[in-house]
Amino acid sequence: MIRAGTLALAAALLLLAAAPAPAQAPRIERLDNGMTVIVRENPLAPVVALSLLVRVGTTWERPEQAGISNFMHALMVKGTTKRSGAQLAEEIAAMGGKISAAGDSDFSEIKSSALARFWRPLLGLTAELATSPQLAAGEVAGERDWLLSRIQRRRDNPRARAFDELYAALYGAHPYALPSLGTAAALPRIDHAALVQHYRTYYRPERMILSVSGQVPGDEVLAEARKLFGGLPRGGGAADPTPPTPPPSARRLVIEQPAQQTQIVAGSLAPSLDHPDHAAVKVLSTVLGGGMAGRLFAELRDRRGLAYAATSFYEPVPGPGALVLYLGTAPENAAKAEDGLRQEIQRIRTERVSDSELARAKNYLLGRYEMDRATNERQAWYLGFYTLAGVGADHPARYRRAVEAVTGVDVLRAAQTYLATITTVVLEPPKPR
Amino acid sequence: MLGSTTMRIRFAALALGALLLAGCATTPSGPTSVPRPRREVLPNGLVLITREHRAADVVALQLWVRVGGRDESPSELGLSHYLEHMLFKGTPTRPPGSIDVLIEGEGGTSNAFTSYDYTHYDVVVPSRGLRTAVDLLADMGVNASFPPAEIEGEKAVVFEEMRLVQDDPDKFAARRLGELAYSPHPYGRPILGTPEGIQALTREPLQRYYKKFYVPRNMALVVVGAVSHADVRAAVDATFGTLPGGEVTRAIPPPPPALTGGRRVDVPRPEQQATLAMGWRAASANEADTYAVDLLTYILGDSPSSRLNQAVRERDRLVFSIESNYVPSQLGGLVSVSARMDPGNLERAEAAIREVIRRVRDQGVTEAERERALITAESHYAFDIETAEGLARVLGQGETTTSLEAELRYLDRLRGVTTAEIQAMARKYLGDDYARVRFVPGPAPAGERR
Repeated sequence: MIRAGTLALAAALLLLAAAPAPAQAPRIERLDNGMTVIVRENPLAPVVALSLLVRVGTTWERPEQAGISNFMHALMVKGTTKRSGAQLAEEIAAMGGKISAAGDSDFSEIKSSALARFWRPLLGLTAELATSPQLAAGEVAGERDWLLSRIQRRRDNPRARAFDELYAALYGAHPYALPSLGTAAALPRIDHAALVQHYRTYYRPERMILSVSGQVPGDEVLAEARKLFGGLPRGGGAADPTPPTPPPSARRLVIEQPAQQTQIVAGSLAPSLDHPDHAAVKVLSTVLGGGMAGRLFAELRDRRGLAYAATSFYEPVPGPGALVLYLGTAPENAAKAEDGLRQEIQRIRTERVSDSELARAKNYLLGRYEMDRATNERQAWYLGFYTLAGVGADHPARYRRAVEAVTGVDVLRAAQTYLATITTVVLEPPKPR
Repeated sequence: MLGSTTMRIRFAALALGALLLAGCATTPSGPTSVPRPRREVLPNGLVLITREHRAADVVALQLWVRVGGRDESPSELGLSHYLEHMLFKGTPTRPPGSIDVLIEGEGGTSNAFTSYDYTHYDVVVPSRGLRTAVDLLADMGVNASFPPAEIEGEKAVVFEEMRLVQDDPDKFAARRLGELAYSPHPYGRPILGTPEGIQALTREPLQRYYKKFYVPRNMALVVVGAVSHADVRAAVDATFGTLPGGEVTRAIPPPPPALTGGRRVDVPRPEQQATLAMGWRAASANEADTYAVDLLTYILGDSPSSRLNQAVRERDRLVFSIESNYVPSQLGGLVSVSARMDPGNLERAEAAIREVIRRVRDQGVTEAERERALITAESHYAFDIETAEGLARVLGQGETTTSLEAELRYLDRLRGVTTAEIQAMARKYLGDDYARVRFVPGPAPAGERR
């Protein structure tokens, strides 16, 4: 076993030294039952990564059962009808692998990875987890306790809490307001029967996208996937909700929490992934808070020493996006830092960004995008996510062209449109009395 | 620039060994053989390590300097880390701010890390930016200009970094455990320095420290990516190659004291959950025991199937998370176990952890556990080499912490470890003398910020 591993890795290194850009274009197949399978052969390293995305997450949840999708996945990894959680953990470890499952907003994911020579048993275990989880009633209470501990831990983390509070304020009645972990109020109300029902409703082949990236034989992976998943019956359609459009609101919330730092998070609603303005807002976000030459870092941290963390976020999502600016700062600097943040927002809404700054932002954005997609795990996720979001697995090339085409006028217009109404959360330590 | 200490599990970092060696063994010579990472020493003493890697059209460059927190005198605490920040603040030909603009304008990223044993500066750029990046690192490496206004301005940033660490219970517990387990050895000092020391910092000691340690003879440049060795060597000859080598003698402090009788600290914290961190002194990076200690640490607490996870989390339900870690370091290693739990479980969790360790001491580990740990080592390496920067980090850490050759033999050495040797490590190192840090919910004592 060990010897074989050595040789496999040696072979991989041979390939490493070979010509560039060897990864193949992904192969996409729609099974008869509606499930999508994507395989990308990538010979560069002797590893394989799998991502099984399922259309279920907080988008399909209500506040009173917030976190049910994630809870269901926590229960799923505790064992299948064929093996216990401990056996599963041992078998995965014996492949040099890992497997996990979690709920998100627009999807839930079972992801796994291992040394490439174990791709077949890894795919088998991943399929087993997805198609025949034990969902044991006896595990529910323990998993609930564990999830409640994670909710508490997140609440104890000043930065994570600040972001959760911002999303709640920004999205209002839209389900993106709900944390994927759920809430301490909702989890105790979710029982075993609800979890089993949730699984039966949503774990249907037409809602599933399997992506595999790594040093694997594409034909064999496709054949194995057909064998493992092809027999699943169609579900006949769980209704997909139409969430309410969140109204923009200019609010400022101050929350007290003991900590050394003050967290300042300011956000606004932004376009979805498939919106024509997506690329312009990506560039806008990068000008403001992308990297160490981004304006927040250069001005507020480097020049004025008002913050340690100074960055921005604009994640691609199928629904309404959020452009979020973030500062972590000393309590005594918080007022000045927040003022500086507002000045930067005002500046980018009134002054056109220079050509050189625009070029820096675009290069940085696209460079980071390439680096983020360098691993098989990220490749598998991106392929699945772009398919799920409806923009197609070939989205990267179009995205690159769209970013390259963004002009200074586009960034100005995006700033004026999407930074007009800002919601701010300030999480600060209690003031000495 | 953002990081301070890197607490990498050694296993992941050092697992490449036999792999590269195996490549040589199967194809020992001829034009089709796998090139080992190429290591050359320039006339001025700079070590250059290169490796082609074409996962993406990028190149990772890392300048490793043999200086870190352990080289500071008590009056110099935090200088290694402060330098790490200041190198990005300009040189005579690069005004403040221009270095970040240059790297990011190329579509690249930069970062830097300070540990007790070494400091490294990392740049990843599209491969067309090779020459620019080599030129930049050579300039930063010996020509940093330390503008006084930048020194002052960066103080606030370092204070923020101190606060950031304190607000993260996992990081802060690891730091407090290190301080408790090693004090008064330099490994037990605060790597960021103290607020008072940083507040009083001036240009002169910073520059003196820089001139003392930042010379080519004390550096290793690692370049991994979609570039040829010839192109790298040409760029390095024209930049680093023209510099005088300099001389550096690193002082070796007395070894860290034994933990006889144990050391205990309880820290009041605002979180609702408690954190328990336990640390045992273990083999340093250059000792033969390090291989067996690595396997032992994996078997104890690396994965969901590990002993601590299965016993303390899954069976006893005493903790929400638990893991073990081994940081060998050059002058004395530390095996740690850390866990988060309800405060009411602190005593029982500690007893359960000790029981798991006692069983390994008394009964040893199984052959299946040993094999799983080996596969995990191989897997960590395989995932590390997915990216150019991952491979560069492995090579740079090997070169500066042990030696590149030791690194290249690592997995082979690991394979030779028996279950009996793993048990012997538990008996030798994981006894009743350990350092323990507990974070317990509660208000900070009056007049103190945590």
